[in-house]
Amino acid sequence: MSSADETPKASEAAAASDDLALLLGRVAARDAAAFAALYRATHAVLYGVVARILTRGDASGEALQEAYVRIWEKAGEFDPAKGSPLGWMATIARNRALDEVRRVRPTSLEEMPEGFEPAAETVDPLAARARSERLVALLACLGHLDADKREAVLLAYYRGFSRDALARRFGAPTATIKTWLRRSLMQLRECLES
Amino acid sequence: MTLSPDDDFAAAEFALGTLEPAERATFAARRLREPELDAAIRAWEARLSPLAEATPPIAPPGDFLPAIEARIRAAAAPPAAKDVAALQTRLARWRAAAIGATGIAAALAIGFAAREATRAGAPKEFVAILQKSADSPAFVASVNLDSRELTVRPLAAPPQAGKSYELWIIEPKLGPPRSLGVIDAAAVTRGARLAAYDRATVEDATYAVTVEPEGGSPNGKPSGPPVFVGKLVPVEP
Repeated sequence: MSSADETPKASEAAAASDDLALLLGRVAARDAAAFAALYRATHAVLYGVVARILTRGDASGEALQEAYVRIWEKAGEFDPAKGSPLGWMATIARNRALDEVRRVRPTSLEEMPEGFEPAAETVDPLAARARSERLVALLACLGHLDADKREAVLLAYYRGFSRDALARRFGAPTATIKTWLRRSLMQLRECLES
Repeated sequence: MTLSPDDDFAAAEFALGTLEPAERATFAARRLREPELDAAIRAWEARLSPLAEATPPIAPPGDFLPAIEARIRAAAAPPAAKDVAALQTRLARWRAAAIGATGIAAALAIGFAAREATRAGAPKEFVAILQKSADSPAFVASVNLDSRELTVRPLAAPPQAGKSYELWIIEPKLGPPRSLGVIDAAAVTRGARLAAYDRATVEDATYAVTVEPEGGSPNGKPSGPPVFVGKLVPVEP
């Protein structure tokens, strides 16, 4: 990677990350003002995460609230060695949204209503404002996947597509999608650890 | 890392979010008891989390901060004794009453509320609503974890001419689904059918109903996909 291209953005991301880490530390110590500041700084990203998966406004608002309650409860568990504060918070929000779309009910065999075709939004993580080093590394590894497989992983991650929804999208059997996903994930891990 | 290859894959898919609902629920329960599995899921979440961080922001409709702060305050307050008493009254009334569909919704709500109020205790009475979707409960299964007695009441299970409903317990560590026997679509079915399973298995398992040839599956395996599923929730301390 060229340091001339990456350094300004990476340092910007790192500075923002340090601020959030400090806020999270104060939240862990039960500082309500820090919690409000943390909410203001991050809620639009977290809402972006849940709204892309849940699509329904009321469900998204509910997931956002649950996510922040959890962030308040778990702030002390944040470990800067394992990721950025925003990544940690966004993952909590994403898990709330996924728990909602993957609730156990056989209707979720068809959680995409009949005829529902997701908007052809191209997920473009490259459009992100500031790129952390971890994101740069992950994107490089995603770049090694075949285009279809990369898109499948990104649709699952950003839009909460199930295997069945991906099967419809790519016109492939669900079992094939499962194989794609598993191979892609193992390939990503190898690439990230190399 | 001593996870089996299947668990290793499934941990990755759990983090990606592509496990089927029953698999996801099973995994969510297993990670509470299996630190290694939990660590594998967390590692995958961390690997993928830069993507979440890079999500383009969307402004939510309105300010949710006051509502969130109110929830945090409510969670911090211990449950009032009168709330617990009211809960027990409602529970007793619920058990005495014939259960209609509205009773089911109430039972579920009470189950969750009771679990919240008594998280430290060890509940022994559990119910599972076996349903196709939230508004069409077909059976309600109740289990006493001490005696492992299982009671299944039909609610709105359509009769199947020349066929039988069969109940299965599904838990990855058991391997394939195991039969809990045929259940009656028109009368209460009762028996110590869970005696062979330990408490944690019974509590965490997914329960599924399939339609089988009259008298039950001929080979001990489900003949088709589940028509109703559910998981247990506690109804009392």
